[in-house]
Amino acid sequence: MKEICTTLPPYAKAADGKGTSADKRGVEKSGAKKAFTPLILRRQLCFFAAFILPVSKLLEAPSLLAYFSKGDLLIPAFLHYVLQTGMLAVLLYVCSKSERPLYARLRDVSAPLARTVYTLLAAYYVFADLFPLLDLERFVYTAFFDTPPAVSAFLPFFLLSAFLCTKNEKAIGRSADLCMPVFLFAFSGLIFMALGEADFTQLLPLFGTSAKSDFKAFYQSLVHFSDAPLILPLLSSYKYQKGDGKKITAAYAGGGGFVLLFLAVFYGVFGSLAPRETYAFDKIARYFTALDVVGRIDLLLVYMITVVLLYAYALPLQLSVQCLTRAYKKDNDASGADAEKKRLIFSLSINGALLLFVFFCSKYYNSLYRFIAAGMFWIFPLFSVGLPLALLFLKGDNDNGKNNSKRHKPPDLSPDPTKENAAQNEKPDDVAPSGEEIRDEKKPGAATTDDAAKEAGAK
Amino acid sequence: MPLFLPESILFCFFPHTHDVNTFEDFKNERFTGGVQKNAESIKRILPSEDVLVYAFTTNGGVACALIYADGMVNKQLLGDLAARPLSALNDSALTAETVKKTVLFPEIKIALTPADAAREILDGNALLLCDGIDKGVIVGAKLVPARAVTEPQTSIAIKGPREGFIEDVKSNMALVRKRLKTGNLRFEALRVGKQSDTSVALCYLSGIADENVLNALKKRLGEINTDVIIDSSYIAAFIAPRRYSLFKETGTTEKPDIFCAKIAEGRIGILVDGSPIALTVPYLLAEDFQSADDYFISPFAATIFRFIRFFAAAIALLLPAFYVASQLFKIQLIPLNLTLTIAGSIRDLPLSPSLEMFLILLVLEILKEASIRMPKYVGLALSVVGALVLGDTAVSAGFVSSPAIIIVAFSGICLYTVPDFVETGSVLRWLFLIAAGSMGPFGVVLLIAFLLYYLITADAFGAPPLAPFAPLIKRDMKDSLLKADPYSLALRPATFKPKNRRRLSALPLSRPTGGENGEENGGGNEKSDKPTGTVNDAQKITEKIQSQSTARNDETARNQTGKGDAEQGEKIR
Repeated sequence: MKEICTTLPPYAKAADGKGTSADKRGVEKSGAKKAFTPLILRRQLCFFAAFILPVSKLLEAPSLLAYFSKGDLLIPAFLHYVLQTGMLAVLLYVCSKSERPLYARLRDVSAPLARTVYTLLAAYYVFADLFPLLDLERFVYTAFFDTPPAVSAFLPFFLLSAFLCTKNEKAIGRSADLCMPVFLFAFSGLIFMALGEADFTQLLPLFGTSAKSDFKAFYQSLVHFSDAPLILPLLSSYKYQKGDGKKITAAYAGGGGFVLLFLAVFYGVFGSLAPRETYAFDKIARYFTALDVVGRIDLLLVYMITVVLLYAYALPLQLSVQCLTRAYKKDNDASGADAEKKRLIFSLSINGALLLFVFFCSKYYNSLYRFIAAGMFWIFPLFSVGLPLALLFLKGDNDNGKNNSKRHKPPDLSPDPTKENAAQNEKPDDVAPSGEEIRDEKKPGAATTDDAAKEAGAK
Repeated sequence: MPLFLPESILFCFFPHTHDVNTFEDFKNERFTGGVQKNAESIKRILPSEDVLVYAFTTNGGVACALIYADGMVNKQLLGDLAARPLSALNDSALTAETVKKTVLFPEIKIALTPADAAREILDGNALLLCDGIDKGVIVGAKLVPARAVTEPQTSIAIKGPREGFIEDVKSNMALVRKRLKTGNLRFEALRVGKQSDTSVALCYLSGIADENVLNALKKRLGEINTDVIIDSSYIAAFIAPRRYSLFKETGTTEKPDIFCAKIAEGRIGILVDGSPIALTVPYLLAEDFQSADDYFISPFAATIFRFIRFFAAAIALLLPAFYVASQLFKIQLIPLNLTLTIAGSIRDLPLSPSLEMFLILLVLEILKEASIRMPKYVGLALSVVGALVLGDTAVSAGFVSSPAIIIVAFSGICLYTVPDFVETGSVLRWLFLIAAGSMGPFGVVLLIAFLLYYLITADAFGAPPLAPFAPLIKRDMKDSLLKADPYSLALRPATFKPKNRRRLSALPLSRPTGGENGEENGGGNEKSDKPTGTVNDAQKITEKIQSQSTARNDETARNQTGKGDAEQGEKIR
């Protein structure tokens, strides 16, 4: 029988808990009381905030803001970004107070509380993605089809989404790396093509519409701009370092700059027609003169951004699956097999449910919009403002003068040959063997191999 | 009975053929003092008729036997340098030491068991047995038929070395050793394949290659328990972490210069006896877009060529798909004048655009397959038939349109700008075509999104295939799609987590430097490998010479200890 086992390729051995399971990684691997190995890096969070989050504001939001605020559409968008940047700063402050993931900290307060919060978060993500998914479907029909598409044309998106949901935060981080050049290239190309046609005087006079209209535009567009909760689970898989707060907040504000630029160009191009120009970014560059000769090459740029857009719209579902997996996986799941199984189940369930929702409810778009954006709009500030503020009450590692060094053991970073695959997976990306990780774990006064080497060198 | 059974159950029902002898079955046998018995032991393990026994007696009356595989040893050398001197010995009793001294071969070793000796015989060596010696003396008189070292057909170099690997692993090891004359170059020999007992050599630079990858590789190679390893592609399939991956998980090369360059970056190479194709791990997708020529021409030209290859590959994969998608779902993608031209050419076609494209691609693939395998003298006829009859006549007959043929032809040519990507690219082109025909451009975009996400999560041997783009590794970008000058490539790619990161010890005087700190920082500082500013002061130059000298000495010392800059880097960080 032993011989039979050796004939199996290594990947077949994950089931015994010793193999190369992709889930043998990261957060809370050896229980909640240990410090965790980060799955996402600061740079990736910055890219995520600057290049993935803004794309979801390019579909319906511009025409919606233009409908209520007309030339003042930048004002509610700006207010959104100020508010969300503030909330992001709050979240990063909460994150900076402890080296441990949020779920572990919540569980220290109360295990049922942690599970409830994460379940509610998961439900929120699904709810927050309902309307955007309908938007995405309409955008796909507009940008990708000249002829009336089949009713099921959009549904394969959920196959992609289900696949994405089975991956963990590390994949989200890497996708942010990938989206950065794609977004920058496509966005700058589209803006470059559109800029020549934009008449920015149409944005004047500033404050030309009433404050009431601006406020209405603000709360009606909460569904598009509530970003802070989307970053929350990622911060749980990230190790805060000094100065990260400013960088990540600045990156998010930079992403806001892209959105504001787009809104300005959008209104400059379309002017008073802007409220009718839904899903603007596939149309914004179509008046570029060269396109008469070469065809709609701007659509290629639109399609490039659509790749980022697909990731952005699947992201809430991914986060929902992550939250549910974390809340309901077994505590002693050292191999990660249970987490992997649950992730698959939650992924299929959520995406299947949303597939049915989109399939049956897309014709009730307007009613749903009224229900979500007007009737249930309070849910968005509850999670994007209320939750970050509530998390301020969580105790940090050094609160009340307690020394928590016992429960915050530094992770064992020494290589373990028996777990080489898992170790490879656990290491954050692009951190070389002598990288930042090791530096971070170095406690003052603690003797390390480096110090020993230094001393040896000095002698 | 179910159609699909788990492998373990299948193996229970159909166990391995235990009636077939392997060396393992004879591992407990030992040589005795009698030459007759020892020769019989060997013949029991190797009963084949091509294993010959040449028995002779020395002048002192000691019976000896030379056992070898016919056609694999140099018989004349064996006679002149082994049999003749031994025959002349007058001693009445021989020892292994006496035999070793008498036989005039540079390569002699002792085999303690008949199984080991049999393995050596099959490798092409001869076994010398003498009465009274309970060991076998292996005489390295190998004369294995092998072809000459020539330029590989699959990677022709315009500039640069033209040597290519051959099927003999020893010759391949020599080709590598010739280029990497360092004690740090290590070959570790393994045997894989129960029947083929194929020699596999792991090749790496000690002190540079990541030991975790090395151990993982050894473990996976040790787990291979198959009958025959014919080619390195078998090994590649067995060690691949994903069984059904569409993308390669090991790099391949036929050229020793490329192989050595990859080894020097911190990869681990695998040479397989009987295969001219060497494997390297970890593998990055960006490798396929690099060419050996890139390192022998100016960095600007290399960068441009790499971008051209990248765009050519994108065109090869996406052009047929977008052509179909635009006709069926999004006509705006095509300029108006071109739309009119296409409309004119497809007006009377009986096939839908997707079916038409499918058919032409199929013809292209068939022609490609046929032209590779056909004898050369038929190849010309095939080109005529393919290009003229199938192409021109099909258009005249109204089966297919000219634009579709142009697009498929262009796509086919583009794909061959990246030869290592051809197999994967061909499959992907079909997938994109199916997606475009069924879902239009949205299907293509969905498939791109899916493939990219798959690639960023498909780590193999600790390296993500899309590195250094996702995860973004800024330093490694200098030799990815971009190609920086050699001075900028002072550090080895961080993707492979090399133990010793610095490969360029010090900068020349003519090179502008970024100040003393950059040099002092050694291996760890990322900024140090991109110096700015200029040194004009004579005193500074003198200091620089001294610091360079120190740096060189330090580097040598680090290399010798095998620790190097990783530790240095940690200190600085």
